[in-house]
Amino acid sequence: MMFPAEHLLYLSALLFSVGMMVMIVKQNTIMMLLGIELLLNAANLNLVAFNQLHPGLLTGQMFALFVIVVAVSEAAIGLAIVLRVYKYYQTSVPGEVNELKD
Amino acid sequence: MENTLLLNWFIELALLAPLASFIVCFFIPDRYSWAVPILANLFLLISAISSFCIFLTMPAHETYLLQFDWFRMHDYTLQANLELNRLSVIMLPLVSGISFLIHLYSIGYMAGDSGIKRYFAMLGFFTFSMLGIVLSDNLLLIFIFWELVGFSSYLLIGHWKEKPEAAKAAQKAFLFNRIGDAGFLVGVMIIWSNTQTLNLNDILSVKEIASWQTIASLCIFCGVIGKSAQLPLFTWLPDAMEGPTPVSALIHAATMVAAGVFLLARIFSLFTPVALIIVAITGSLTAFLAALFALHQFDIKKILAYSTISQLGFMITAVGTGSESAAMFHLVTHACFKACLFLGAGSIIHALHQAQQQTHQSNDVQDIRTMGGLRKKLPITFLTFLLAAASLSGIPFFTGFLSKDSVIGGALTWGGQEFSWKLIILMMVVATSFITTLYSFRMVWYVFLAKENGETATVVESPWIMRLPMLILALFSIWLVVSWNPFMVTGWVSTFVGKLPHHNFTTILSTGVVSLGLAAGWLLYARQSAPKSALFLQRAFNLDSIYKKLFGQPTLHLATALKRIDRHWIDGVLHFVAFSNASFAHLVAWFDRHIIDGSVNTIAWTAGLVGTFTRSFQNGKIQLYIFWAVAGLIIFLFFLLI
Repeated sequence: MMFPAEHLLYLSALLFSVGMMVMIVKQNTIMMLLGIELLLNAANLNLVAFNQLHPGLLTGQMFALFVIVVAVSEAAIGLAIVLRVYKYYQTSVPGEVNELKD
Repeated sequence: MENTLLLNWFIELALLAPLASFIVCFFIPDRYSWAVPILANLFLLISAISSFCIFLTMPAHETYLLQFDWFRMHDYTLQANLELNRLSVIMLPLVSGISFLIHLYSIGYMAGDSGIKRYFAMLGFFTFSMLGIVLSDNLLLIFIFWELVGFSSYLLIGHWKEKPEAAKAAQKAFLFNRIGDAGFLVGVMIIWSNTQTLNLNDILSVKEIASWQTIASLCIFCGVIGKSAQLPLFTWLPDAMEGPTPVSALIHAATMVAAGVFLLARIFSLFTPVALIIVAITGSLTAFLAALFALHQFDIKKILAYSTISQLGFMITAVGTGSESAAMFHLVTHACFKACLFLGAGSIIHALHQAQQQTHQSNDVQDIRTMGGLRKKLPITFLTFLLAAASLSGIPFFTGFLSKDSVIGGALTWGGQEFSWKLIILMMVVATSFITTLYSFRMVWYVFLAKENGETATVVESPWIMRLPMLILALFSIWLVVSWNPFMVTGWVSTFVGKLPHHNFTTILSTGVVSLGLAAGWLLYARQSAPKSALFLQRAFNLDSIYKKLFGQPTLHLATALKRIDRHWIDGVLHFVAFSNASFAHLVAWFDRHIIDGSVNTIAWTAGLVGTFTRSFQNGKIQLYIFWAVAGLIIFLFFLLI
């Protein structure tokens, strides 16, 4: 069964917005990483959805797979950074790590 | 040629040796101050010897100029020449000789004085200035030396500066001289503006009589009144007796006060007949009144001081009556015998002072009432004092007789044969000569001849170094020094001072007057045990207090009034100006603070506000950065797509 691409794009936009909101609003660095995952998935959704327009080609799916791999490695590095930051600042609230200010 | 070179040397030595004495005595270190009297005497001896050499080698009636230019102004060159003429040739040895003798005397008199360096330095300086007056041929130069003479006199009167009377007397002398010198300066200026020269020979060569000459000569006469202690400026001279006695002898009897008479004789041809009449009246009045005052003094130095004023009045009268030669003659003889009298007085004071120190008494050693019978105690002083006093009172066979004779003779010639007011002056001169005899007799009687007071038992004669100058000066009171004929001047004097008036009548007249004076003195004083005095005359008509009331107090009142005006009006205006200035400054300050600073501050504040606002985006919160980035992206897309 095929969903129309239009619906997929709406879902993707919604997902992107939610991810963005999560990234901006959440007071926890890990939650921000989750938000980033949402954003990446929204992009994946778009890749897959637009692949419908070219049947016979699997370029979109391939890219989505690559993105998932990259996301995994990104999440690994991100979590490591979060751990280091927590160890150093004794907090994981992103608002309190504001040394970039000056 | 060699002769002139020698003469140049003599002139320079005579003038500059006292100056060298001043410099050496002033700058010698304190530990060598014992050498000061010896050095000063050596220098003065050099000066005196050179002066006598000039006197002996210089032919009479010739002038000799030692020229050098002082400074140039535009096309005018002021020459500071030294001129030898018949007047300066006789004044030179007189001044430096008497100065040397007094230096010699001072060794004894001032022995042990703490200010001996200053004393001898100033004596040297005074002698230099006086010789400067005598030698200058330029009115400006004379004026400068004239002031220097006044200045050194001021310092010497105030030598014992810790005594308040001495300090006051010095100030008074200086002030009175200033009053006269102001006139002198005006006179010099009048002469300059009319003749465009200050050279005396040029000024005196003007033949026609102009009206400015009367004013100019009277102005210069003002200076003479101050310096020669004439009426009405004579009261400084008796006060000047606070100085050391040798100073009184040198300055206030023999030389400085005579500078006025010398100047009158020097510029005699400048005087117009009208000016001469005023000169004669002033002189004769001074002579008469001062003689009266002298008759009523108790202080031996004050008697001599008033006597000096009186004799100076004589000389001024002689100038006024047209016989300046007689004035110069009287100046010379008076310098010798008056210096001798003062040195005698100094010797008496010195001896009494020494005696008092032994017996621990403290009487006034200058008061003639405490003296008496000193004839046996001080034989040399008595002898010299007697000779000089005889000369002063004009007894025949003494120089004073001859010179006084020529003064009276001059007045007689001037007064003419017919009866006129001019005879009053002649009569005053004769009366003065009578009183002179009287006070001389009174002085000698109470000091030396009267009964002993018992307080003079331990008095001993002064040292030889003081007796020697007195003896030399006393010798110069004897007629042989100036003329072979004791009744009429014949000899070297008239070649220097000029033709002297002589009347056989005056010789008889003055002999008569003198013998009358002596007789009156005998009758008046020989029986009294103590001298009497009228307080009014002793205080010289209370002239000092009159001056104080007439000039001193109005000046003070004027000063008070001016002070009030100053405080109320001038200070008021000043305060108002200051106040308004300050108010305006406050206004400006307000404007500055609020308007100018305000605008600047506003700009700065706005910039700060903008800064703070933009800074708030850079707060280090990653999420806000993301938010703004997304917001920016959205806005960008919004504008891009629609």
